[in-house]
Amino acid sequence: MRAKNFYRASSLDDAYRKLLESPKNSIIAGGLWIKKLGQSYDTLIDLSLLGLDQIVDSGPFIKVGSMVSLRSFETSPLIKHICGGIASTAAGEIMGVNFRNLATIGGSIFGRYPFSDVITALLTLDVTLEFYPEQKMSLEEYLNYRGKVQGILTSIDIKKEEGTCFYKKVKTTALDFPLVNIAVSLRNNHHYIAVGSRPMIASLAKQAMKDADLGKDSKQVAKQAISEYLFADSISIGKDYRREIAEVYVRRGLEEVSK
Amino acid sequence: MEVKFVLNRSEIVLNVRPDEYLAETLRGQGILSVRVGCDESNCGSCTVLIDGKPSMSCSVLTAQVEGKHVTTVEDIQKEANLIADFFGDEGADQCGFCLVGFALVVHALSLEYENPTDEEIKNYLVGNLCRCSGYNSQMLAVKRYLAEVKKHAKK
Repeated sequence: MRAKNFYRASSLDDAYRKLLESPKNSIIAGGLWIKKLGQSYDTLIDLSLLGLDQIVDSGPFIKVGSMVSLRSFETSPLIKHICGGIASTAAGEIMGVNFRNLATIGGSIFGRYPFSDVITALLTLDVTLEFYPEQKMSLEEYLNYRGKVQGILTSIDIKKEEGTCFYKKVKTTALDFPLVNIAVSLRNNHHYIAVGSRPMIASLAKQAMKDADLGKDSKQVAKQAISEYLFADSISIGKDYRREIAEVYVRRGLEEVSK
Repeated sequence: MEVKFVLNRSEIVLNVRPDEYLAETLRGQGILSVRVGCDESNCGSCTVLIDGKPSMSCSVLTAQVEGKHVTTVEDIQKEANLIADFFGDEGADQCGFCLVGFALVVHALSLEYENPTDEEIKNYLVGNLCRCSGYNSQMLAVKRYLAEVKKHAKK
């Protein structure tokens, strides 16, 4: 990775102006993915002085600042209390503690990385993203948004809801990227099913979710869910294997959440 | 660019490149205990504590630690020696390359958890790889260290 400048923004406006100055400027967040990508930048914009590292209980929502580290996110009791702690579980399976203390929740979401990880789990919750300049959209809208959002992700608002959940990250070694990840939740009498790292980014299986709400057999629902997804090959795993394990874990997830 | 932070309890001001990683800076300061094993945010050998939290120094820019406290193994000699003794006793330590990272992470673990379960210990240490010994013996050594810390805390 190469960067000519490192800029500590004094306000969101300041950061945004800097971002617009050049297409070779970027927000750095934790900086883990930027290191991995190894590209060249003019200016890396640091948001760490802007107080975006707080997790706040704001009534119906838990507001998570985009600069909250994955480790703080994972260990926060507020996050653990949402729907069986599915988001906490998903964050806790990303690399080691010494990685998660650096990586941020905002970076993990804004990048829309195909391995999805925490996105897969968050998709099964009610999540709204806040950007600067003022713009709000649901996580799902953001994932489907074409092109790059011209803004800075500032807050991830997760609705406080009770419920049951299931999360599975299939991986060959503890520190690997997921081969596929599966999240299932049941909240307010509605089922949510998300599969990510197929190796494409996570999405919801809408028809299967309806079927599950109607009380259809979990085997059938899992079959339906899998039929809604495209799977592809990657170096480590073929699409057929991906599809088969995903189906099994969706079924197990459905059984788990309705226990 | 100028960066000011606290390194092992003393404040330092350094002139670094904007894209310089902390591991490189620290090694440049003669702190050779910081070992870059993989440079891929994977092996944990380069771990230092940033404001008390284990962090991979190969993956954080020096500019990002402005105003923070950076601790390397030099600052926790007493704890590190004890951890090394237990690792040696249990045969968990052969070449010793990974041990610096382990010592810092185990020390941080002992501060963060009062009574960690086996699962919590594993979860905490998973980001530190060792290529020569077995993780079981490391587990035994870590548990002995935690027990020792607890014994002294009670006194």
